[in-house]
Amino acid sequence: MPVAVKKTIPHFFMIVYVVIILVPFLFVLFSSLKANNTEIALHPFGLPKTWVFENYKEAWVKAKISVYFFNSLYLAASAAVVGVLMAAATAFAMARMKLTRISKWIYQLVLVGMLIPGNVLFIAQYFLVRDLHILDTHWALFLPYTAGALPFSVLLLVAFMHNIPHELEEAATIDGMGAIRMFWKIILPLTIPALVTVFIVNFLGNWNEYLLANFFISRDALRTLPTGMVGFRDAFQTNYALVCTGIVFSVLPVLLLYSFLQRQIIEGLTAGSVKG
Amino acid sequence: MKTTLKNPYVYMLFVVPTVAMYFLFFIYPTITSFVFGFTDWDGLNPRQFIGLDNFVNAFKDAEFRSSIWNNLIILLFSCCIQVPLIIIFSLLISNVKRFQGFYKTTVFMPSILSTSIIGILWGYIYDPDVGLLNNFLNLFGIEPIYWLAEPKWAMFSILLTNAWQWMGFYIVLILAAILGIPKDIDEAAMIDGATGVQRAWYLTVPLIRPIINVVIMLSIAGALRVVDIVLVMTGGGPAGSTEVMASYMVNKAIKYGDYGYGSALSIIIFVIALILTALYQLLIARRQERIEY
Repeated sequence: MPVAVKKTIPHFFMIVYVVIILVPFLFVLFSSLKANNTEIALHPFGLPKTWVFENYKEAWVKAKISVYFFNSLYLAASAAVVGVLMAAATAFAMARMKLTRISKWIYQLVLVGMLIPGNVLFIAQYFLVRDLHILDTHWALFLPYTAGALPFSVLLLVAFMHNIPHELEEAATIDGMGAIRMFWKIILPLTIPALVTVFIVNFLGNWNEYLLANFFISRDALRTLPTGMVGFRDAFQTNYALVCTGIVFSVLPVLLLYSFLQRQIIEGLTAGSVKG
Repeated sequence: MKTTLKNPYVYMLFVVPTVAMYFLFFIYPTITSFVFGFTDWDGLNPRQFIGLDNFVNAFKDAEFRSSIWNNLIILLFSCCIQVPLIIIFSLLISNVKRFQGFYKTTVFMPSILSTSIIGILWGYIYDPDVGLLNNFLNLFGIEPIYWLAEPKWAMFSILLTNAWQWMGFYIVLILAAILGIPKDIDEAAMIDGATGVQRAWYLTVPLIRPIINVVIMLSIAGALRVVDIVLVMTGGGPAGSTEVMASYMVNKAIKYGDYGYGSALSIIIFVIALILTALYQLLIARRQERIEY
């Protein structure tokens, strides 16, 4: 076989794969700009005849995508920030402070958390948030999201903080620095790459979460994008263009984030599974 | 001065919030799940302790048994069809120089998206009238297929969507392992006259076996965790043909208010997950030694 042919074979298969990945996105994007269902049905692969940008305005305002969007945004971001800070503080105490026996115990406890599949706790967590009287408020999502991300975050940050040289904090101790200031001024800044990774992983997880968001929140004004979109689809079932517009709104921010941070996201999402 | 990092009060300040959250949202729900599982409870009236009745009923419950089968189908599909494809695609990407980054970025893309949004998106692709798939098949003169409404196609449709979402994630995992193999091993084999396929099969695949094991483990865990996509695309239907254990548990608890029974099902799911993980570790993962190069 000539070398040129040999070299194109992998590309041929990969291009077929890439097309299968991208076509659904293009279909949704084109459909979102089409005037009606007939046009989508008759020319599914074609560009819109007239570009109906009003769909976007209509979905954003009328269908309250804006409400879902901002609910998702602030919940995903705040839970991720709080989770990262809590995990970082715990990881600091476990990795750097000299109470090793208790640290080992806590580490084992956190490891067990990685074993529990999330769905299994669904019913018990439902009654937990009901008994805390936070059902149908954003607390019902914020707290489980923050807690749910802790095991993975703590394990990753402990591993990262173990590798920081001890000389730094010895020097700081001699200068009279306390543990809390040391955490803020020395360890946290040095951990930023890992913190960013953990934040992104947690943020994406919260942004995409469906099960809890669907059953712990019933007020429409409090819904997040994944559940809001399902409700939207069920309400506008026959208006394909409008639902496709909604899909674009939910997918676009994540894809933009991905395009800027794809290296960090890929490494972050695969870090938990590759142990060496 | 030496006590700075030994101060137990500061230690508690750092650790207590996390441990408290952890107890509240992991340990406490695990305990209550076990308690609820042995009761007959509608969520409102007092709980009635009924011993093992829920567990006995679960195994008599034909719908639950068929949901176990459906999880098994997903598991077999992931391990026997997806994993080989994942390895082949990883090998293909590792062999190209141009566009490697582009392929990697693109195939990974679906795995950062919400499963429920992907469920809605693919719902339109499967739409019998305006959907992309039937339109495409129409080019070859194939009659419209009711992908999500016919029991014989619904599970297949879910499997396809699930594969579309997750294959790229595993490809990137395996690709990283392949690219981590030192180049000189491959070059030595090339000088000895081994073909590309030979090198892949006899050299690369054995060297990345540990990561293949990780991928199989994650696929098993993932197959048991499937639920969002079922709830969004089919709700378990038509006629229970796509019902998985987790969706059945959620439906029983929320739709029928049978929380005791639902909790028992959640314990069964947990135990099945533990058994599969343990079996896998004992039978396969332990026999593999770490490969050093």
